[in-house]
Amino acid sequence: MNKVFCLYVPGDSLLHRLGVGWKYAVMAAMVISGVIVSAWWFTLSLLAISVILVLLTAVPPRFGLQMSWALILVAVLLVAYQSFTGKPLTGVVIAGNLIMAVYASRMLTISTPESVLIDALISAASFLRVFRVKPEKVGLAISIMIKSIPMLLDLFTGIQQAAMARGRGRNLAAIVTPFVVRTVAYAQETGAALAARGLGE
Amino acid sequence: MIEFQNVSVQVAIPQAGGKNSSKTLLEGINLTLEEHRVAVIGANGSGKSTLLRTINGLVAPSSGQVSVNGLDTVKDGKKVRSQVGFIFTDPLSQLLLSTAVNDIELSLRAKIKNRGERRERALALLAERGLANTAEQSIYDLSGGERQLVALTSILALEPDVIVADEPTTLLDLKNKFLVGRALASLEQQLVIATHDLDLAAKADRVLVVHEGRIVASGVPQNCIDYYWELMSK
Ligand SMILES: Nc1ncnc2c1ncn2[C@@H]1O[C@H](COP(=O)(O)OP(=O)(O)O)[C@@H](O)[C@H]1O
Ligand SMILES: [Mg+2]
Repeated sequence: MNKVFCLYVPGDSLLHRLGVGWKYAVMAAMVISGVIVSAWWFTLSLLAISVILVLLTAVPPRFGLQMSWALILVAVLLVAYQSFTGKPLTGVVIAGNLIMAVYASRMLTISTPESVLIDALISAASFLRVFRVKPEKVGLAISIMIKSIPMLLDLFTGIQQAAMARGRGRNLAAIVTPFVVRTVAYAQETGAALAARGLGE
Repeated sequence: MIEFQNVSVQVAIPQAGGKNSSKTLLEGINLTLEEHRVAVIGANGSGKSTLLRTINGLVAPSSGQVSVNGLDTVKDGKKVRSQVGFIFTDPLSQLLLSTAVNDIELSLRAKIKNRGERRERALALLAERGLANTAEQSIYDLSGGERQLVALTSILALEPDVIVADEPTTLLDLKNKFLVGRALASLEQQLVIATHDLDLAAKADRVLVVHEGRIVASGVPQNCIDYYWELMSK
């Protein structure tokens, strides 16, 4: 099973002890500045910092830095596509930002229990009460998204392999179309699961 | 008690050219289910899931009415869903959070407001089912049988009166089929289960055979199973 987000690994590294708010802030600052500055050297520096941050959580590097095939494929496709349109450095920036964002969020998820992560989001989302949105609902939605990511990546890998088995591995439509269809079906199932649990309404 | 009164379910199928045609998923269902364990058997696409989903209002009848303990599943949908626990085929769709204990805590949210208490209760419920070791694990790292048992525990935490299970053992290997089958058989609640496992169906108190959206046989397990064999081997 694919893992983009690594789940919490108990420990007492510097990052484990750092407040969750700071970690969210670091992650957000890295992702946002990477997108705004949009320069290859800046993205690569951020990428290096994100790797160091993951290593600072003191998990084994092979665990903390593992990459799923689906993500590598997406990164390679991005670089290839941008190179094809004559902007290889843009490809490096987008793919680099993507991987950097994954590592930065991993730094957060490895060093913080999920319940703490979600509570922090819920309290940050309290301002939404003004708009009559319940922060608990936002928290639940985010938790469900986190839960769904490995599932969707697995789905993607499965479809990609099925396409490859039929010699259509390079045909993006042959991968994306069933992926979208199945994702919609999965979203509907999740809706039904929520309703069945009395959480839908 | 679950009652179906003249229930039909139709869905609109959009057609090229703008006109919608409709497809009948269920037709003319009249049933009173009072037995402790009811098994629903039928081929793929026969309408088992649709039938089950009308019991907790996830699917609304196009005509007729379904009621659970006197409550209309559409009008009193929310109340009905709190009384009817639904088990899906794939526990990975059913489980909403990434660890077993978190998912069970989610079910307990409405009942127990205190967090520490809630967690303790969730852990106790897992332990009762022999799932203590799965509590903190990612649901993706559990075996199919463990996942389905966690899903069942999560639904039982809501304290429903009726359990509806849609092919809960279809994705499982034989060993896990037995494990989950035993857990379902030991429930105190009324159970309505759709299944392709005819051995499991044979242990029910009543069997319904669904074919092309209709109930074509209903009654003692062996008679219905024999009828189903015959129907399918034609
Ligand atoms: N929302 C829907 N729209 C159109 N067709 C549907 C819908 N839901 C189910 N069906 C169709 O209705 C039939 C019965 O489905 P279902 O109740 O899922 O059968 P089973 O669970 O016995 O396999 C199938 O042919 C299915 O494709
Ligand atoms: Mg079905």
